Amino acid sequence: MAEKDKLKKVGDILLNNAMYIIIAIAVVYITIMRPTFLGIPSIVNIISLTAAKLPIALGIGGCIVLTGTDISAGRVVGLTACISASLLTTVFKVFPNMTSAVPLPLVLLLVLAVGALVGFVNGFSVAKFKLHPFIVTLSTQLIVYGVILMYLMRGVNNGQTLSGLADNYRTFVTGTLFSIGGVAVPKYVLYSLILTVVMWIIWNKTTFGKNMFAVGSNEEAANVSGVNVTRTIIMVFMLAGMMYGITGFLDGARIASANANTGLNYECDAIAACVIGGVSFVGGIGRISGIVVGVLLLQIIFTGLNFLAVDANMLYIIKGLIILIACAIDMRKYLVRK
Amino acid sequence: MGKLQKKILCILLSVTMLVALTACGGGNDNAAGGSTVSNDNNAAAPAEPAAPAETTAANDDSGDAVALEGSVAVFYYTYGDTYISSVRAALDSALDAAGVSYQDYDSNNSQTTQSEQVTTALAQGATVLVVNLVDTGSDDAAKNIISQANGVPVIFFNRSVSEEAVTSSDKCVFVGTDYEMAGHMQGEMIGNYLVENYDTLDLNGDGTISYVMFKGQEGNAEADARTQYGQEDADAILEAAGKPALSFYDSANSNKYLVDQAGAWSSAAATEYMQTLMSQYSEANGNMVELVIANNDEMAIGAITALQNAGYNKEGATVIPVFGVDATDAAKDAISAGSMIGTIKQDADGMANTIATIAQNYMGGKEAFDGVEAENVVGTWRVNIPYATYTGQ
Repeated sequence: MAEKDKLKKVGDILLNNAMYIIIAIAVVYITIMRPTFLGIPSIVNIISLTAAKLPIALGIGGCIVLTGTDISAGRVVGLTACISASLLTTVFKVFPNMTSAVPLPLVLLLVLAVGALVGFVNGFSVAKFKLHPFIVTLSTQLIVYGVILMYLMRGVNNGQTLSGLADNYRTFVTGTLFSIGGVAVPKYVLYSLILTVVMWIIWNKTTFGKNMFAVGSNEEAANVSGVNVTRTIIMVFMLAGMMYGITGFLDGARIASANANTGLNYECDAIAACVIGGVSFVGGIGRISGIVVGVLLLQIIFTGLNFLAVDANMLYIIKGLIILIACAIDMRKYLVRK
Repeated sequence: MGKLQKKILCILLSVTMLVALTACGGGNDNAAGGSTVSNDNNAAAPAEPAAPAETTAANDDSGDAVALEGSVAVFYYTYGDTYISSVRAALDSALDAAGVSYQDYDSNNSQTTQSEQVTTALAQGATVLVVNLVDTGSDDAAKNIISQANGVPVIFFNRSVSEEAVTSSDKCVFVGTDYEMAGHMQGEMIGNYLVENYDTLDLNGDGTISYVMFKGQEGNAEADARTQYGQEDADAILEAAGKPALSFYDSANSNKYLVDQAGAWSSAAATEYMQTLMSQYSEANGNMVELVIANNDEMAIGAITALQNAGYNKEGATVIPVFGVDATDAAKDAISAGSMIGTIKQDADGMANTIATIAQNYMGGKEAFDGVEAENVVGTWRVNIPYATYTGQ
């Protein structure tokens, strides 16, 4: 009997840490095939790509904790990237009357406000009209896309890609934070790190964070125990919107060109990363560290498959399998707990 | 009391909504069923809800132009495409100038959406259809539109439609480019540039140029042709000059290209690929990529961004030659700044003006190709808008 328990325990530990084990196996395998995978340039590359994709996932994570989702994320990133690229530029095509770039902090505030506004509409509709977040964010996704298209047709731009960004904007985002072994680490890695810490504090150390988990696990119970459910939902979506705004601001400079396709489908990878990292669609369950691991895992797999020169078509299949397996493991944990 | 008030409020609100709905319905017949209808030529419409639905051109500003009967419906495969946006801007202004009324539709990359929009436009009485087909994989979508049009002239443009489909109706033409041409011209431009600058470009001095190819999308005839000829034609010129052929940077990759997973020809995909490959291949390792070929300018710009972040392609730094196709404004800026070498210009204005001319010919009952430059006309069914190389000189 005791031995059986032991075996079960070992099995549980293996399953509960399946994601870490998969990461370890993947890294070992890829490194054996391509030793440069663990070189400093490659590690810096993986870390910076992870950092670039982290803020949007941190935002969407909150929506998933509320048993919801947010598929407007990618388009908000696109809109805010276009706004940033049109204001922080040297060629003023969207606003032909401007002569010099807008100060950086102002643009940052603006994209935060735009993100928060879309988030407010999402949250308000979900909380007040009791609509499923999928439908609400599907609507806002379309609306925001329309706004992007109109914005790009403004002035003398005629729907063209926005480029020719101001130098101070690009250095602010992609400038060298520090060099390690001759490889530059871009500054947005630091920003991502700061955002992760801020989100960790919000999730774990504030009343709002605790309320979010309460509403996510049981809305009725949270309401009865005095949590302002409506306000909590609206704030979660607004916070998420601000994260997309920051992602857009960073992506505008990181890619150094913004157009109507910028941000397309970003939410898919972000949602996948959250789910892989154990943020459960069941609601009320999720950790910031899990999201970081999820984003990192996806990035390691993608970069690794790229190193291995795996056929592009296989990438879709592998990604699909990873998400499926991650969700299955996640649900199993939940069922056991019940 | 509270309950009663609520009820009254409800009724009042419903009545207001009903009134609003009927009022809108009266003035907006011509926008029916098209949430994506974005442009009605009649700028005065919002101010005059009583204006008739069938509006002929508002040609107050084009004084003596003869107003042509009917209206043109233009279907763009997606508003999200940079090059197509420049065609749209040019075509809108060409039709405005000609005093032709028109309506633009965004098919949002879905053939189903486009086919339904065509039905709607025909029901509204469109007299010429201008179609930027979404599904270029088979003839079915094009033939379906031609048969739906049932005698209404159809002008296909930009995205290729087969000769068989176009000639199945005598009121159908195609305005496009010889899509293989862009790849051939890009390859030729690359070959010549490499021969001229061979030794400076061969960074590791091993005698061959290693390259990376960014493909925009799988299963797209233009992407396939550009990917193939961009490299093959460059090789041909190199070999003729006694140099070895290009070698793909990663010998394990049998495709010899990296493709945008989302099929969006996007700069983000190219940036991330480029950044990742540079983490493995660098000058320090003696295996740096020495040439970047991209299917379009978006991807070229994306690659340049990654190169710049790594300290290349800036003023005073080593420039890895990057080539694209489209000659977008961003690419032209990059070329004049010296961070990009060349691109192939698709003539958006030329395409738009040709379409506008043919549309007016159909509306005026003239020959379809009346007034179109004869050297661009292929047979009786097609006009090819020529490409041009663009290196900023």
